[in-house]
Amino acid sequence: MWINMTSKLWGFKNYRLRTKLIVTYVLLTVIPMSLLGYIAYSQYSTSIEEQVGEYIPKILAQANENISNQIREFSNLPDQLYNSDQMVGILRKDSYQNQSSMLQDEFTFNNYLSRNFINGESSDILGVFVLSKNRIFQSTKIPYSNFEGTDYKDIYGQEIELGGEEKFLLPHQTSLQFEGNPPFVLLMKQLTDLENRTNLGTVLIAVDISFLENVIKNLNEEGKAKLWMMDEDGRIIYHTNPELVRSIDSLAVDYPKINGSFRTTKEEQNRLISLNYLDGTGWILAHSILAENLTERTDLVRNATIIIFIVFVLISTVISILLAWNVSSPLHRLTNSMKNVEKGNFDVDLSITTTDEVGILANNFTSMVTEIKELVRKNYQIELKQKEAELYALQSQINPHFMYNTLETIVMSVEEDEKDTVVEMVTLLGRMLRYSISNKEDIVPISDELAHIKDYLRIQKIRFEDKFDFAIHEDKNALRFYTPKFILQPLVENAVKYGMKSGQDGKLEVSVEWLQQANGSYVIVFKVKDNGPGIKPESLEKIQHMLADDPMIKKDSHFGLLNVHARVAMNFGSEYGVKISSLVGEGTEVEIKIPVLVGGSEESQNEIRKN
Amino acid sequence: MQALKFIYCLLIALLFVSACNPGFQEQEQYEIIYSMEEEAPQEAAFNRNQQITIAVVPKVANIAYFQAVEEGALEAAEDLGVNILYEGPVFANATQQIEIIKEMIQNNVDAIAVSANDPEELAPVLLQARAKGIKVITWDADTVPEARDFFINMVDPETLGRHLMDILAWNTDEKGEFAILTGALSASNLNEWLYWIQIHQKEYYPEMTLVEVAANDDDPQLAYKLSKDLLKKYPNLKGIIGNSSVGPPAAAKAVKELDRVGEVAVVGLSTPSPMNEHLKDGSAQIVTLWSPKKLGYLTVRLAYNSYKGNDPTDWQEIPEVGKIRMIGDTVIMGEPMDFTKENVDQYDF
Repeated sequence: MWINMTSKLWGFKNYRLRTKLIVTYVLLTVIPMSLLGYIAYSQYSTSIEEQVGEYIPKILAQANENISNQIREFSNLPDQLYNSDQMVGILRKDSYQNQSSMLQDEFTFNNYLSRNFINGESSDILGVFVLSKNRIFQSTKIPYSNFEGTDYKDIYGQEIELGGEEKFLLPHQTSLQFEGNPPFVLLMKQLTDLENRTNLGTVLIAVDISFLENVIKNLNEEGKAKLWMMDEDGRIIYHTNPELVRSIDSLAVDYPKINGSFRTTKEEQNRLISLNYLDGTGWILAHSILAENLTERTDLVRNATIIIFIVFVLISTVISILLAWNVSSPLHRLTNSMKNVEKGNFDVDLSITTTDEVGILANNFTSMVTEIKELVRKNYQIELKQKEAELYALQSQINPHFMYNTLETIVMSVEEDEKDTVVEMVTLLGRMLRYSISNKEDIVPISDELAHIKDYLRIQKIRFEDKFDFAIHEDKNALRFYTPKFILQPLVENAVKYGMKSGQDGKLEVSVEWLQQANGSYVIVFKVKDNGPGIKPESLEKIQHMLADDPMIKKDSHFGLLNVHARVAMNFGSEYGVKISSLVGEGTEVEIKIPVLVGGSEESQNEIRKN
Repeated sequence: MQALKFIYCLLIALLFVSACNPGFQEQEQYEIIYSMEEEAPQEAAFNRNQQITIAVVPKVANIAYFQAVEEGALEAAEDLGVNILYEGPVFANATQQIEIIKEMIQNNVDAIAVSANDPEELAPVLLQARAKGIKVITWDADTVPEARDFFINMVDPETLGRHLMDILAWNTDEKGEFAILTGALSASNLNEWLYWIQIHQKEYYPEMTLVEVAANDDDPQLAYKLSKDLLKKYPNLKGIIGNSSVGPPAAAKAVKELDRVGEVAVVGLSTPSPMNEHLKDGSAQIVTLWSPKKLGYLTVRLAYNSYKGNDPTDWQEIPEVGKIRMIGDTVIMGEPMDFTKENVDQYDF
């Protein structure tokens, strides 16, 4: 069993999150609610039963008290006979000299009974019979039958010893019947001659027990309960159903002998039975009501509870399913996206807008994927740009014009027999070509780049002779650092190309500086300044606009400038790159800002390689 | 599949909840919800098999009055299922009574009911009995109150004394000399009646004169002799009151013997049987009494009740007796009955 349970629990552990959530939610709702409902209902109905079970016996006891009083009054009635010396005198006689005196006594006695019993205060007396020494004195309110016919002496006896107690003869014990068949009991009491201590006879008083009905009427207002009076053997004396009078309640012998209440537990419809014993007579007043009648109102509560329970369970089930769905569905989508990404598809579309943990996770995932995608693209672009730059640089060197110009200059020098110049030019050209071709490294020491530029400018100076001059300002500190290759050449080329057009003496200044910025960090700044005609503001604006744009966008004109800017910006971020300023007639200044790159340090190596 | 598992879990939950239902448990056919009182206490304190013995001691054994008491006592003993020891002295004498009571104490009786010949002399032995846990009550004639639980008086002594005076007065035209025959001078009840007879005479019958109170010690022979002596001694005597039950028959007999019938009225306390003849032949006029049988019956009943811890109460209904009164610690059985030649046949004691 335990193992079974554990394995089930284990199994549950591996269920899908959605199932787990639904089961947990539903159990968390159903178990407490059903427990609560059940306990509330059972407590409620038990307490109702207890209250009624306590209340009814008290009412019954009260009713019994009234009945007792009534019966005590009836029991005392025969004692009235003792108050009349004449009647006691008649009863004491046991022999007569003649018939007339006997009839005279009978007349007197019957009259007395009529006056004192039948016409007396108690309206519940149907008849009085006094059996004494083979005489019957009697008086009845309504005609009767079957009394004289029976051998009453055997049944009621004259010599019975009741020891001064009264006895009740129940309807089934006598064949006496009154006209109209009213329910009655016979109160039997022995008459003792108190002075002579002899038996005078027996008084039988037929008492209409409708008075019971009056006493216990209020107990059965709704008619749902059964109410009856029975003797100790279960013989029913009075019942709310008159047909049951004289019959025997066969269950009565098993009833607990208590003044109180008990409930049956084994019947199809359980009943709450309350009993109260009537002192003296041994009669039992019993009240029985179906438990379901008692709990009718409780049943309403129960049904309402059940309906509410079901509704709540349904609602909570729906809510729990929705909730589980809400939680699990984004996760599900996230999982799918991850699988896609895993396969290399970076085009994820997670429309998860929530700000909960799943939402944050999804957002992070999305931005991560986006970044990856971006990086991939960037890397690709940078690679491309680098290649472009190399190509450009190569193109510049083998630029037909440049080559032509340079070679022409060399030819002219040969012609003028300027051997030194020829040697120098060829050397310079050769060095430039070597620098361009030896492009194994992406970054080079700034000094190398500067040397390359110097070579270029020397060639140009030799070519233009006095019309062109240049100056290179090197910051000693800056020379310790590195720079991406070929970033200066396009700018210098531009400066030569545009700065030399006006025909005046061109002057070019190249500087490299190691500068501390406002935020304390250091940058390397290259400046290429010419004293050419400058750029018209419209053109300048256009160029600056292009520089500010996404450096990835492919541009046709100003290719060199933009390529440098794009490479720097892509590699190091948008705060780095190319800035251009120009005044018409004054010249143009182009500035490249790059971070401080330490050639040997791993950090910078990594940075470069990463890009 | 998931749904099935879910339903399965739900079912387990419901089963768990419904297992709390007490309907599953094995139980009695009836479940008691409320009982108004504890189980009625059994009368275990008194073992039914244990025979209760009540000693009834009259003033004297062999007179009709106390024989009638014995009959009543035996009737009650039968009704109650108790054992009765009824024994009285040959003469109405305290000393003999004390001997009898001592004997009863030795016999380990449960209760002693005594009609005391002398209230003072009997007290020590009765106290001795009480010390041994025996219930002691008195009837007919009382002792000092300390010596008993309560006293069963037949009638209110004032009522009886005044009534005795009245019935004599009716028969003597309220005038003339009269004498009283009493029992023992030490008997407290007789003395009380005597007291009230004299009070009543002084209050209402100034023309009547009490000439002598003669004590006969409840001895019929002595009573007869005293009666004759009185008749001889007081020739103008108009009436005799017999203050104890042997008095009136002796007086009536003496009146008849001395041929004074019609001249001297005889009234008093006596049982009807010995007076039947005298009432009818006019040698006696009215005797008044209670039923000694009833007294005997009541005595045993009350002794029994008292032994069981139920002392009598005012207006208590005693089965086969009727209602009794209580005045202090004295029980009053009822009113005196008059016996005349008309009704004397109705009584058999």
